[in-house]
Amino acid sequence: MRLILCICVLLSALPNTGHAANPGRSPTFERDIQPILTRYGCNAGACHGKARGQNGFALSLLAYDHDFDYHAITTEARGRRIFPANPRFSLLLRKATGQVPHGGGKKLDPQSPEYRSLEQWIAAGTPRTPADAPKLEKITVSPTQRLMKFSETQPLKVTAFYSDGTQEDVTRLAQFSSSESVYARVSPEGVITAGPIPGEAAIMARFAEKFAICNVLIPRPHPVDAAVYEKLPRHNFIDELIWKKLQQLNITPSERSTDAQFHRRAYLDIIGRLPTPAETRRFLANADPHKRARLIDALLERPEYADFWANKWADLLRPNPYHVGMKATYNFDQWIRRSFRENKPYDQFVRDILTANGSTWTNGATVFYRNRREPDELTTLVSQLFLGVRLDCAKCHHHPFEVWGQDDFYGFAAFFGRIGRKGAGISAPISGGEEAVYLGPPTGRRAGPVKHPVTGEAMMPTPLLGQPLDLPPDQDPREVLADWITAPDNPYFAKVIVNRIWADLMGRGIVEPVDDLRATNPPSNPELLEALAHHFRDNRYDLKKLIRTLATSYAYQLSTTPNESNAADLRNYSRHYRQRLRAEVLLDMVCDITGIPERFEAMPPGSRAMELWTVRSQSIFLDSFGRPDPNQDPPCERTSETTVVQALHLMNSPALHRKVTADDGRCARLATSSQTPAEIIEELYLLAYCRYPTDSERTNALKRFAKPGASRRSATEDLLWALINTPEFIFND
Amino acid sequence: MGFYTNCNGVTRRDTLQLGLGAILGGGLMTALRVRALAKPDKPDANALAAQAKSCILIWMDGGPTHFETFDPKPEAPEEYRGEFQAIPTAVPGVLFSEHMVQLAKNLKKYALIRSIRHDQGNHGAGNHYMMTGAPPRIPVGCGAFVSFHPSLGSVVAHEKPPQKGLPAYFSMPSMSRSGGPNFLGAKYAPFVVGGDPNSPGFKVRDVVLPEGLTGERFDDRSRIRNEVDNLQRFLDKAAGDPALALDEHYKQAYDLIHSKEAQAAFDIAREPAKVRDAYGRNSFGQRLLLARRLVEAGVPFITVYDGGWDHHADLFGALSKRLPAWDHSVAALINDLDDRGLLKETLVIALGEFGRTPKISTLPGHTKPGRDHWSNAMSVLFAGGGTPGGTVVGATDRKGFSAIERVLSPENFVSTVYTKLGIDPGKILYTPNGRPTHLVSDPTPIQELM
Repeated sequence: MRLILCICVLLSALPNTGHAANPGRSPTFERDIQPILTRYGCNAGACHGKARGQNGFALSLLAYDHDFDYHAITTEARGRRIFPANPRFSLLLRKATGQVPHGGGKKLDPQSPEYRSLEQWIAAGTPRTPADAPKLEKITVSPTQRLMKFSETQPLKVTAFYSDGTQEDVTRLAQFSSSESVYARVSPEGVITAGPIPGEAAIMARFAEKFAICNVLIPRPHPVDAAVYEKLPRHNFIDELIWKKLQQLNITPSERSTDAQFHRRAYLDIIGRLPTPAETRRFLANADPHKRARLIDALLERPEYADFWANKWADLLRPNPYHVGMKATYNFDQWIRRSFRENKPYDQFVRDILTANGSTWTNGATVFYRNRREPDELTTLVSQLFLGVRLDCAKCHHHPFEVWGQDDFYGFAAFFGRIGRKGAGISAPISGGEEAVYLGPPTGRRAGPVKHPVTGEAMMPTPLLGQPLDLPPDQDPREVLADWITAPDNPYFAKVIVNRIWADLMGRGIVEPVDDLRATNPPSNPELLEALAHHFRDNRYDLKKLIRTLATSYAYQLSTTPNESNAADLRNYSRHYRQRLRAEVLLDMVCDITGIPERFEAMPPGSRAMELWTVRSQSIFLDSFGRPDPNQDPPCERTSETTVVQALHLMNSPALHRKVTADDGRCARLATSSQTPAEIIEELYLLAYCRYPTDSERTNALKRFAKPGASRRSATEDLLWALINTPEFIFND
Repeated sequence: MGFYTNCNGVTRRDTLQLGLGAILGGGLMTALRVRALAKPDKPDANALAAQAKSCILIWMDGGPTHFETFDPKPEAPEEYRGEFQAIPTAVPGVLFSEHMVQLAKNLKKYALIRSIRHDQGNHGAGNHYMMTGAPPRIPVGCGAFVSFHPSLGSVVAHEKPPQKGLPAYFSMPSMSRSGGPNFLGAKYAPFVVGGDPNSPGFKVRDVVLPEGLTGERFDDRSRIRNEVDNLQRFLDKAAGDPALALDEHYKQAYDLIHSKEAQAAFDIAREPAKVRDAYGRNSFGQRLLLARRLVEAGVPFITVYDGGWDHHADLFGALSKRLPAWDHSVAALINDLDDRGLLKETLVIALGEFGRTPKISTLPGHTKPGRDHWSNAMSVLFAGGGTPGGTVVGATDRKGFSAIERVLSPENFVSTVYTKLGIDPGKILYTPNGRPTHLVSDPTPIQELM
């Protein structure tokens, strides 16, 4: 046993690893054997735990079905996996120790206590754990928090607590994983090793179906004077909470962005378009010390706001047109846009979708239920979308990283058990037809109750973490669900939406992925997430107010340029994070600055990409830049990465070439105007980069105009082409 | 492999055969060749794998009839056998329908599967099953354009990384319905090349300079681009600056544009008139020719989408016009690849979503008869990559109702394609949520083709 003394004041229990499991108790299947199979990965999804098993030997994934597993081990394959007369010759042990060829290799050491447990268990006649045996109630890990230095190590101890009050050290049988192994990795034995860069990680320990977390924080080794943080500006509560976190990590924030940087960023983040040269000139010349806050207010009132934010929500809600028909697709899209135009409170927006009734041709929100029809697909979608809770794994087995099981899944699904539908189905050619959604009868052929797939029991609607509800027959369960989801004390609802909006503006969610809130995926700044959710509720779920609060914080206005302390900070907002612009934003930018709009199918001339209502309006540009495709199931996520295809498209696309060189385009107009080359250059920089050119940039560009053989027209075109093909144009800095 | 290092003596045709990778300094192509050459000495479990480097998938959208192509039933009553006669092929005892003249002569060069069957009788679902090897998870309609699983092309793009900026998965002239990447992500979506390579002035989009832009001016623009590109890069890797990735992509794009050999590969006009004629002077034939050039450039997967095989009505009229040219073009592709020594490392596959009903019928409102959807039997042409020529796998019954001998599934079919390309069909892929998914649920390839 090795003790590591550390500076950590939180450390209370001293770790002790390496002694044998269950001393003095003879092993039984559920309590002792299953944890071994889990610990050594036998029942993992990539091995015997996958649906059809591995080489004829199938176990339930992560031991969720004890009867199945017991049968598989003891009786299947004519019982040859177990040899009670001589346990060591059991195939189970000979395979696991690699004595006979095993696809998974050698998993178990014959000298290990686990091997001895298995051997004893087989010798004893493979007993099951009696039904009245003590139940596992929880596990703890110690320490639960730890401040670590670079490369420092910390062993963990995992303790299981049983219903009879006994405890057992199960460190050897626990499995460990790190949320961020770059910052702190953890060995299979449960020893944490801090990495060489400052950051944070959550280390998870799992045993049976329980888990516990140890949070690790690795600050920069150079302390920063507290006065530095006191002097930082605080525009609102966001700044206070971010500075507090940065102080713990010994990180200082970057400089404030320049006016030009901020101006371009605010336009792109709030209304999804570039400022015009006139707007940029005006803003840069404005001496008002409050001009940034005033700009944010003005942008929130612009009509483009609704289309831009509706486009983001359409990513999440947009139905598959081949399922629901074109008219329904259009109706839902228009319904979303109208909601943002009215600045409908977010709780109302969600309630309107969840409780939607009526015709898909008159109430766009009902299309939600035309596109997703089965209670189980609705459960997956609604829980992830509006609660940030991923229940899809719990559909078939206990969620390995969460508290949810099948009861939770089907209890939630029961809220959708009474959706009535009348009208056209979804199979072509009738999918173009109309359908009505309503509260169906409590029982019946189609809207029968949701049943538990294992027990067959009819489920009562049950909120997550709540009790089953016995609802009267005239009560629509979806109304009750909407009440519960949008209630002020719902632990997820406000958090997941503020986290989404935060990620949109700040470049990264406080929780990532943004819709995966769980204890084992902790927020980078829990206090901040809590405060934002609180603020959002206090402001009656007003999205514009939330965006205003975020954008007016000092933290939002930081530069992207790292200082010597914060280059590695990717989660604590000590600097702004550069983002590639969205497909629709980029295409509209190209159209705006070249002066040549795009022509889309099913759209009036002059329409912007941001106004498109279906992916069936084809665009190679949008697809190249990662527009999501709702025909993929599950819908493809929007991608924000860069690719060679994008570079090739911006350089060589005939459509873009035409926009740059068109006779009625921007370049032709500038070239035939009375403006001097210097003025043209300034205009192009303002158009694409939203800033004035520097002196050397101006000088270089002027040489291009003076070059023999260059015309005003060709020089203008070439310069605009070049500006479009740079990161300063493609990224939101 | 001395011919790599001495480019002076290499003919243009050789250059094309070497492919882009060789020209761009070895890299992946060389590595693949070395690996392929080393294979026979190492009889490991994957020794059979990676016989093929590329795949040309001819997608006959709508569901081609097996009767009027590769599986005629001359003995069946007239209402089953239809208007066309059967003709002999290069393999004694194997008959084709009368318009498959060239392919019948060449059957020794490729194999045929007559016994794939499945249970998805509408376009959306059949498309999905054959294109991904997975049946749709929920019922979908005929008009459906759905994806629940990554397609063959997207998986190949994912598993065989693209070389030097070349897209790994092309689709011409449009994407096939279920040809998308699903959870693999948009990066593995097909690079769609629209337009008609049979028309003068055709260019592969984006990889070549747009019409009206000279190379000189492009270079000039690129110099201006360097001058105006002053956004600060955060070179500290820990800072995760996405602009650095874009820089790398621009560099690859420039390499592609400046590679004479790559540009030549995209330029179908360089092909001798004789070869262009051999493929047939029509859009489909020229797309096959372009596909061959892309294979030579090192593209691992190319779908040639060929629509309009849904012959519910006027089957015989339409096919009398269409089949001779189709037969001519596909045979030309196989012959050409064979002549160039490329057939052994290139798969050529032609199929649709299903076969067609044995009994001829006339739809209400129509006067000329056709056949309807039929997923109990279909024929698939399978060439190259070490596939033994002249093999005919399986058979349907006397009237063509059902595959009865060596009944095979779409899973067997896609497993064969993956195995030939060196991809383990039993592989587990992970969705972005971390959920493990089998690449193919039954990863058994068709042994007769291996």
